[in-house]
Amino acid sequence: MKNKLKETVMHVVFFLTACVSIAAVLIICVYLLGNGIPTIAEIGLENFFGITWKPSKDLYGIVPFIVGSIYVTAGAIVVGVPIGILCAVYLAYFCPKKLYKILNPAVRLMAGIPSIVYGFFGLMVIVPVIQQLAGTSGKGLLTASILLGIMILPTIIGTAEPALRAVPGSYYEGALALGATHERSTFSVVLPAAKSGVMSGVILGVGRAIGETMAVIMIAGNQTKMPGGLLDGLRTMTSNIVLEMGYSTGLHRRALIATGVVLFVFILIINICFSLIKRGDKAS
Amino acid sequence: MKKVVSLVMAALLCMSALAGCSSTDGTSSTGGSSTTGGSSAAQTEGTGMSGAITVISREEGSGTRGAFVELMGVETDDGDMTTENAEIANSTSLVQNTVSGNKNSIGYISLGSYDSSAVKAVKVDGVEATVENIKAGKYAVSRPFVLCYKEENLTDLGKDFIKFILSAEGQAIVSEEGYITVNDEAESYTASGLTGNLSLNGSTSVGPVMEVLAEAYMGLNSGVTIDIQQTGSGTGITATIDGSCEIGMSSREIKDEELSQGLTAENIALDGIAVIVNQENTVEDLTSEQIRQIYTGEVTDWSEIG
Repeated sequence: MKNKLKETVMHVVFFLTACVSIAAVLIICVYLLGNGIPTIAEIGLENFFGITWKPSKDLYGIVPFIVGSIYVTAGAIVVGVPIGILCAVYLAYFCPKKLYKILNPAVRLMAGIPSIVYGFFGLMVIVPVIQQLAGTSGKGLLTASILLGIMILPTIIGTAEPALRAVPGSYYEGALALGATHERSTFSVVLPAAKSGVMSGVILGVGRAIGETMAVIMIAGNQTKMPGGLLDGLRTMTSNIVLEMGYSTGLHRRALIATGVVLFVFILIINICFSLIKRGDKAS
Repeated sequence: MKKVVSLVMAALLCMSALAGCSSTDGTSSTGGSSTTGGSSAAQTEGTGMSGAITVISREEGSGTRGAFVELMGVETDDGDMTTENAEIANSTSLVQNTVSGNKNSIGYISLGSYDSSAVKAVKVDGVEATVENIKAGKYAVSRPFVLCYKEENLTDLGKDFIKFILSAEGQAIVSEEGYITVNDEAESYTASGLTGNLSLNGSTSVGPVMEVLAEAYMGLNSGVTIDIQQTGSGTGITATIDGSCEIGMSSREIKDEELSQGLTAENIALDGIAVIVNQENTVEDLTSEQIRQIYTGEVTDWSEIG
C-alpha cells in the first residue's frame, strides 16, 4: 500500500517536471505570437517586410536583417561545416589515441566558451586582420562568418563524431575486404552511412549560428542597410532585438518583439528539418 | 556542386593564411603593409589624413545618440539622418574599443567615460571638450542627466536620495566623476537616518556616476540598500512608469509623451559628448558642420577634411 502511494506521488512529480518544459515553450509561443502578430498587422505587412528600418520615422522594414541573418548563417556553414565534418572524421577514424585524449576535451571546451568571449576574440584578433587585409573597418559579413564558423564547430563535431562511430564496424571492414584503402573506406563508405547524423549536426550548427547574438553584435558592424558584399557590415535579427531593446518604447519595442516572431519561425523551420532528417533516418 | 564548395573553401583557407602573414608583417615593419594596396596603403604619415571614414554610431533610441544627432543637426525634420553606412555599437565601451582599434574611425561617447589613453577627443568648433567649457556654454555638444519618478510611488527614502544628489556633497561627486554640476550653491546634506531599499533603473551613461553616488549615500545612511540596474534610458523610464522601479535614470530629456504618464523629471548633472577619433588620427579640430557632414554621409573620406 505504502509503496503504491510512493509510486503515484513520484508519477505526479515526474509528470509535473515534464510539464514545466512544455509549459515554458507554450508560454513563449503564446507571448511571442500574441504580441508579435497584432504588431505586424499594425505596422502593415508592406512596411514590416520593407527594406528601411528607421523607427524614428515609423519605418520598420526588417528584410535587411532577415537577409543579414541568412548571409551570416550561410557564411558560417561555408567556413564551419567542412572543417567540422573533416574534424569529426579525423577524431573518429584517424586520430591516434594519445592525441584524441587532448583533442576531444578541447572540442568540448570550445562548446563551453561563452559567446561574448568569442565576440571579444573576434573584435581583437579577426577584425584587425581583415582591416589590414581589406582596408575596410574590418567588421562585416566575412568577419562574422569566420567567427560563427568557429563557434558552430563543437556543435557539428559533437553530433557528427558519435554518428560516425555508430556506423557498424562491418561496413568499414567490408570496404577494406573489397580492397579499398583506409581513407577510401572512411570517406566513401562510413561517411555516407552516417549521413543523417552528420546532417543533424549541421542543422543544429545552423540553429546555433542563426540564434547567435552577442558575438555577432561585436563584429558585424550592425548597419541597418541591406548587406551588399562580403566586406560590408550587416545586422542580424537577433542583434537588432538586443541592440535596440534597451532604449525602445511603444511601437518600436513591439516591432522588436515582432522581429523575434520572424526569428522564431526560422528556428521552427530548422527544427522541423531536423526532425524530418531524424525520421528519415529511422525509416531507412 | 562539391567542386564549388571545395573551391570556396580553398579560397577562404588561402585568405586566412595570407591574413596571418599580413598581420605579422604589419607589426614587424611599419612599411610592410603598404604592399597590400587599396585604401589601407593610402594612410600616409605627416601629410594629413586620408582614407575612408568609418563612422561609428550608437543604436536608435540611445540617449547619447538622441542628444548627439539633435545637437549636431544630424536630425532634421525628416528624422535622424545618420548615414546607413554607420557601424552601430550598443555601448559606450564598445564605441571606444572600436575607435581605438581602427585608424579611420570616428565616434562619440559620454565625456565622463572618455579615456585619453585609448582614443583622442577632437575639438568641436575650436573648443576643447572640458568641464569648464561646457559650464561656460562654449562647448556645443552637451546634454542633461535626468532622474524621473512618479510622485505617488516615491518614498521618503527616494526623496532623500534625490536631495542628497542635489546637495553640495552629491554634486561634488558628480564633478569628481567628470560630469558637470547643475547647482553650484547647493546646501550641505545631513544624513536622514532612513532605512530601506531603493531601486533605480536606466541609462548606461548615468549608471557609473549613480553607482558612486549610491555608495556614498549608503555610507552616510547605513540601513539603506540601493539597487541600480543599467539597462538603457528607455527601459528605465518604462520601468518607472509601470512601477517596477522607483527612480528611472535617463541620459536624454524626458519626452512629453512620457511626462504625460505621470512622471516628474529632475536634472542632476550635465554631460558633454566627446567626439573621438583614433590616436593616430592627425585631425585635431572639427567644426560642427564637418561632424554633421560625416554623420550624414556627405563626407566619406578623411582627405576631404582639410
